[in-house]
Amino acid sequence: MGVVQGDQMVLNIGPQHPSTHGVLRLKVVTDGEIVSDITPIIGYLHRCFEKHCENSTYEQVIPYTDRCDYIASMNNNFGYVVAMEELMEIKVPERVEYIRVIMAELNRIASHLLALGTYGLDVGAFTPFLYMFRDRERILDIFELTCGARLLYNYMWVGGVSHDLPVGFVETVYNFLDYFEPKVQEYNDILTFNKIFIERTADVGVLLPEVAISFGVSGPNLRGSGVKWDIRKDEPYSIYERFDFDVPVGQGLVGTMGDCWDRFYVRVLEMIESTKILRQALKDIPANGDVHQALPKKIRPPKGSIYRRTESPRGDLGYYIISDGSPQPYRLKMRSPAFTALSVLNEISRGWMLSDVIAVLGSLDIVLGEIDR
Amino acid sequence: MTDNQEQLIQEAVEKALQGDMDAVNNIEDRVTRSKAKAALVKAKREAAKTSAEPSSEDKSEESATESKPAPLSLNQKIAGIIASQFPGTVDEESSSETHIQLQPAKWFDVAQYLRDDPACLFDSLQCVTGVDLGEESELEVRYNLHSMTHRHAVEIRIACARNNPKVPSVETVWHIGDWFERETYDMFGIEFEGHRDLRRILLPDDWEGWPLRKDYEVQETYHGIVVPKVKEGWE
Amino acid sequence: MTVDQLIDWFPISATWPGLTFLLAVLICAVPVFLFIAVYALVVIYGELKISSFMQDKVGPMGQGVGLHAWRWGLLQPVADALKLILKEDIIPASADKKLFILAPFIVFIGAFIAFSALPFSQTLIIADMNIGVFYILAVSSLGVIGLIMAGWSSNNKWSLYGAMRSAAQIISYEIPAALSIIAVIMLTSTMSMQGIIQYQSGFIWGFLPNWLIFNNPFMFVAFFIFFISGVAECNRTPFDIPEAESELVAGAFTEYSGMRYAFFFLSEYANMFVVAGVAATAFLGGWQSPIPGIFNSPAWGLWWFMSKTMFLIFVMIWFRWTFPRLRVDQLMSACWKGFTPIALVNIFGVGIWYLTLG
Repeated sequence: MGVVQGDQMVLNIGPQHPSTHGVLRLKVVTDGEIVSDITPIIGYLHRCFEKHCENSTYEQVIPYTDRCDYIASMNNNFGYVVAMEELMEIKVPERVEYIRVIMAELNRIASHLLALGTYGLDVGAFTPFLYMFRDRERILDIFELTCGARLLYNYMWVGGVSHDLPVGFVETVYNFLDYFEPKVQEYNDILTFNKIFIERTADVGVLLPEVAISFGVSGPNLRGSGVKWDIRKDEPYSIYERFDFDVPVGQGLVGTMGDCWDRFYVRVLEMIESTKILRQALKDIPANGDVHQALPKKIRPPKGSIYRRTESPRGDLGYYIISDGSPQPYRLKMRSPAFTALSVLNEISRGWMLSDVIAVLGSLDIVLGEIDR
Repeated sequence: MTDNQEQLIQEAVEKALQGDMDAVNNIEDRVTRSKAKAALVKAKREAAKTSAEPSSEDKSEESATESKPAPLSLNQKIAGIIASQFPGTVDEESSSETHIQLQPAKWFDVAQYLRDDPACLFDSLQCVTGVDLGEESELEVRYNLHSMTHRHAVEIRIACARNNPKVPSVETVWHIGDWFERETYDMFGIEFEGHRDLRRILLPDDWEGWPLRKDYEVQETYHGIVVPKVKEGWE
Repeated sequence: MTVDQLIDWFPISATWPGLTFLLAVLICAVPVFLFIAVYALVVIYGELKISSFMQDKVGPMGQGVGLHAWRWGLLQPVADALKLILKEDIIPASADKKLFILAPFIVFIGAFIAFSALPFSQTLIIADMNIGVFYILAVSSLGVIGLIMAGWSSNNKWSLYGAMRSAAQIISYEIPAALSIIAVIMLTSTMSMQGIIQYQSGFIWGFLPNWLIFNNPFMFVAFFIFFISGVAECNRTPFDIPEAESELVAGAFTEYSGMRYAFFFLSEYANMFVVAGVAATAFLGGWQSPIPGIFNSPAWGLWWFMSKTMFLIFVMIWFRWTFPRLRVDQLMSACWKGFTPIALVNIFGVGIWYLTLG
């Protein structure tokens, strides 16, 4: 922390502020509108996730993972069960794999919709936010149909999923996709290619690929900088190697590669890729199968440790699980993508204006539940 | 099964292996005969294995120029590289196929080497995990490294003493090391030497103790607020 | 009806001219205040409904009990206003109390007194001054002082940011607005609001009403510059930088609550009316009928004026629910590098047009 001198002013953005996306505090040193230093202060939402896990059984950890990244609970469940199944060497039935991929991709769309919508709010556009929430609502309805919950699902279990798909599920998702795919164009029309929006986001907060990698930035933020890295593609887990989809990367279409607009647009494109995966998965999913078939009677993984990454909507979601052979994890560490994304904020928004800090923060798409755990 | 029977089976199997199948077929007792056959199959399989192994090794040696995957795991290969560059840093006994055990002393240099060496190029620090190996033993820091260029990953473990845990900081090697090390410090009290801004990150600055250590005692009160204890048998 | 006629009509005007003047002003002020209050309720309701329509939702629908229960949620703005009135009025301990209390009224007065020169119809104008346009431009900047007072006295960094931004913004956008009005005055040779409207009677190009916006291409540009600058002066999206809810919480109004906050709100809507009213007067023919010659009675005049003004207000609402917000430096460069030079060139264009073709 530099000493504040002369005409500089320290400003606290948060912990209660409309655009910190949770309980985040940014200690900002400003000179008029220009921001010269930003210190993110986190931990306001710390719920001792890792300590809790050490005192819970492996099954009890799953609901906690929901609450870490509450925007993409399915993906958090997914990462945990993939790691656990690899540790326990469980082979799950085909149908379960497909169900999981469908849920994860639906949740990815829902999460990106929220990220894009709130980003619109950050730069002052209110209407796109409601458009995206309107469509996110339909995904939440699908989740409600499947497992009864709309936000925190506890749906994926080690070795299976909690409920089989309801009757008519496949048609519902097809209907949703038919409805949703044209809507992406609507978002592009109202927000993505809006002149003012481009003015606000292009060339702002440019994240160079080397900086991004060094800061451990991952997911859409990294791809926005032009690095083609997607764990679904490069380190396939579950059955992702079966699907044909592209990994969109930022190209600096309207500004510099790696600016806020690129990060935004990568998310838009990723939603389209997710719909592609969904269509393939819906086509190939086995019609029948017992989703509880591979559920272990007792979850007692052998002694050992595992670090497994999956692609959550925010990036590389890693679980480091150490087992001592007991029904409780000896140590469980969650490597959250938003944590690393937030750490780069000072690097890329220093020297910009106060409004740009908000724009950059929004473009990183952080979820405080996951950062503070 | 009597000793007599076992002896009989053994003899028959040995004979059969040499080509005399009749030695097995001529056993009168059906149970013994079938057991002998089973033993024969087993013996044959083992024989095939022992004979196959050297041949497969020969193969891999032959095709080494064609860059076939070597039998060594990546962790072991990298461990070899580190050991040759920085003798005495790799703890060979504790290293395994899945991780490399390092001595803390030269960790900073090793990390820089791992990041910059063209064969390694571990440009991304994926995860830093602190582990308490038990109330009586040491603390450990585990680093998961990943290379965006080679698309490979290793795990490095560094143990440090419980009463004075010190590990060199790699915050200047990988930027994200800054926050990851702060988090590990926050939870385990492991001091990262050379870290420019080692403070608590998730917990309040004036929190006492290191929560994720196994011998952690929750402080009684915090600014006059009674800290709730974990209830026994609450599950 | 103007205030001058009112003064003449008073029987005591000769003996107590001062008292007569005071009475006449009060008689004019009360209806204007009521008008602003009612108009604000209507526009707030309109904004709720229009935004809901644009955002694919239903808006206030009269759910629940009490005031909300009335048909189509028509009483929603009344309920909102009541809520604001009943709310606790908080003055921060470290605020500069006098300025803090005074600020909302100054902002409101700036918007309020501008109404006195707005020509609602042929006969309905409070004071048809010979410097009407000039007067409106002058008093509508008065609000800036109030905003700076609010930002400074709140003793809050966000408020200060908002106040500084709005001061810079409103003063900057006064210039292109005034410059485009100069083009109007050049053509009409009068600054009286009624005079400007009377100039716009009859036809132009044979079939179009002789509104100044159709007079020549330069006037068309001038209208857009004036209107956009007007939106900026009202601090409406995409120029709502002083309020910038996602950046500055609520800008200069951060510490305000209850009735004081309501006054800021009211002034915003009153300002919108003034800007739209001036734009309608100066460019869209004010109370002139779109088909010259018919529907030209004073009652129709009121209708035409209100509908033109309301249409422009609707466009402002439309802007708000469509655009993102500009950044403060982009806003200033748009003003100084874009609108101001164009408005200047425009004056020359109008002059040359007038001399050669007019």
